[in-house]
Amino acid sequence: MRLGDFRQKIGPQTSENRSTETLPRHPRRREEDHARMTAIGQPAVLTELVRYRHLWWSLTWRDLRVRYKQSVLGIAWAVLIPLSTTLVFTFVFTHGVKVNLQTGMPYVLFAYLGLVPWTFFSASLNGCVNSLVANRSLVTKVYFPREVFPLSAIGSCLIDFCVAGTVLVGLVAYFHVSDPDWSYVPHATVLWLPTVILVQLTLTAGLGMVLAMANLFFRDIRQIFAVVINLWMFLTCVVYPLPADRSTTGWIVAANPMTPIIEGYRRCIIEGESPFTIRFAFAAVLSVVILGLGWRVFRRQAHKFAECV
Amino acid sequence: MGEAAVRFDNVSKTFRRGQLHDSLRDVVAAVFARLAGRTRERTGFFHALKDVSFAVARGEALGIIGPNGAGKSTSLKLLAGILKPDAGCVAVNGRLAALIEISAGMHGDLTGRENIYLNGAIMGMGRSEVERKLDAIVAFSGLEDFLDTPVKRYSTGMTARLGFSVAAHIDPDILLVDEVLSVGDVAFRQRCEARMREMVDAGTTLVFVTHNLEQMRSICHRAVVLDQGRVSFAGDPTDAVEHYMKATMNAVGEQSYMDCPRADRLPGRLLGLQFRDASGRAVRTVRSHQPVDVEVDFQLSTPVRKLCAEVSFRALNGGLFVNFNSGREGRLYDVPAGRSRVRVRLPALPLAGGNYVAWGRLWDNTECSLVAESPARVPLLIDDEGRPTGVLALPNAWPGQAERLEMCEPAFALTGSHP
Repeated sequence: MRLGDFRQKIGPQTSENRSTETLPRHPRRREEDHARMTAIGQPAVLTELVRYRHLWWSLTWRDLRVRYKQSVLGIAWAVLIPLSTTLVFTFVFTHGVKVNLQTGMPYVLFAYLGLVPWTFFSASLNGCVNSLVANRSLVTKVYFPREVFPLSAIGSCLIDFCVAGTVLVGLVAYFHVSDPDWSYVPHATVLWLPTVILVQLTLTAGLGMVLAMANLFFRDIRQIFAVVINLWMFLTCVVYPLPADRSTTGWIVAANPMTPIIEGYRRCIIEGESPFTIRFAFAAVLSVVILGLGWRVFRRQAHKFAECV
Repeated sequence: MGEAAVRFDNVSKTFRRGQLHDSLRDVVAAVFARLAGRTRERTGFFHALKDVSFAVARGEALGIIGPNGAGKSTSLKLLAGILKPDAGCVAVNGRLAALIEISAGMHGDLTGRENIYLNGAIMGMGRSEVERKLDAIVAFSGLEDFLDTPVKRYSTGMTARLGFSVAAHIDPDILLVDEVLSVGDVAFRQRCEARMREMVDAGTTLVFVTHNLEQMRSICHRAVVLDQGRVSFAGDPTDAVEHYMKATMNAVGEQSYMDCPRADRLPGRLLGLQFRDASGRAVRTVRSHQPVDVEVDFQLSTPVRKLCAEVSFRALNGGLFVNFNSGREGRLYDVPAGRSRVRVRLPALPLAGGNYVAWGRLWDNTECSLVAESPARVPLLIDDEGRPTGVLALPNAWPGQAERLEMCEPAFALTGSHP
């Protein structure tokens, strides 16, 4: 997290920090809980998180509850948003610009399979960016592992994702019956789906923690994020396949871990291929690295949250 | 004293005054300022706690009192793990629950019932645990009729009641309470106090931050007075309250309420008021039902033939005022110039327990003029030994056992009867 370190370097607290840092660190004596300052990788962090799983679930449930409170359609919005976006892009790409899908799958399915995971990704990150700042009163008044905030923001989007995913069954059945050029053959590769979701979750959690923390220190992050996430969508094969000729945007596309992830959904659900390509493996490794680093920095900075929020 | 449940070892905490860099623009500006050699003047630091040490034994109730900004809430936040000390060590042994702001976890759009589950989870209870205690929590809050109303329609007092009701059922080993009982009506406040006492009796360690000195005195075994980030006193709650009162009075000495500015312009000097118990020991805490002597020391520049001494008391929290005047008792002193002492003997000072101030005055009865006056009012604590009877600590006795009444015509009618 370059921003945090950066700030620490130039902040006036530096001299103060140095004087106290040289003091011997007393070991924290805690019998059963609050092993707060332990570094990631030690089991204490995980056991602490496991201990707070009720809280994670409660906050997830609260986010969901609040999102659909006083709305007539309620959780149906989890389906309606990707579905209506799909229809918009279907209109654009079938009546305006023509795209060549190569695989012959109906465009609606192609777009829905891109937009549902993408909505999950972008909505999760959007929730993460605001998670610490929006819960200011909890951050400053109650102690629990701060990871719970971004993770529960992801949790509520995961539930939306699952709801939206069930509609896919209906869409597939509809096109299987109505589209003469295309029929669905169930493949065992669907079983790889949890792996694809897991990689996406890893990436989302890693980025989410970094974004939540960065936005706590600098509120600009939220604005920058809004721009970047839009651009990112069009650099990913969400609503159109990326051109085979990748000379112009080559390295961006190659480094973008979301492309093999979204391709992974289409491959294992519709095309009957395993999602594992070299680029998918790269995305998986990158996700784990991002989560590891992001979580580590998050832990390191967590004690400052209550003061800086 | 067993093993410490909570330990603070030489803890210091510093906050930065003024704004942090909230946006990248500030950071960029600061970097350029630094590169150009122009360093902006920094706003400095605020030392919230300086080398504070204390420990709380298992099952002990510790009160923390002190003026605003003394570091009370910072101490609690350090204990709760919300803040990290800059130096020193904070150790906590056991499951800890912190009531720092009980409505912090509330969400206005959720109903009372949903908020009970949410707050329970925030305070560390599992869903099954909340379910088990739900009835008790609801009964304690007294909000049965509003459980399915969104909390945004609750009043402040109702929200606080809901929050405390959840907190009161966590069963922690260590409970931190920060001034949360000041909302809610009298009945609820008493229920909270009773519940806290119950938890302490059951062995919960309590750390209680409050401005309600009487409440602190009645609940806590020991007290710490914080002043400007340092422990200025630690010990018995009654002594702590007295210490705090005295410090406060010194601090606000310049204010007219505590001060008698004209004392300087009078011909005599009142040197001091001293309270002595029956055995002649100087005391700062007077028991309502014990005899007490009040000594008035003074210095006169010219002799006064008919000197009349007066001692007054005023309750700090209200208007109760008591005045003893030697002239009204037929005692006028013939006093030479120089230092002298007179004393008034009170067989009892039957005032309700609490904080009072006392001051003395000397009058010259021939001219009816004021000779001397206490330069500052003296804080005094009255201890009614836990038997309050209202404004006054009146002696009362209940002789004999219950007498059996025969079934006959009542001696008097209990209710008004209309013919």
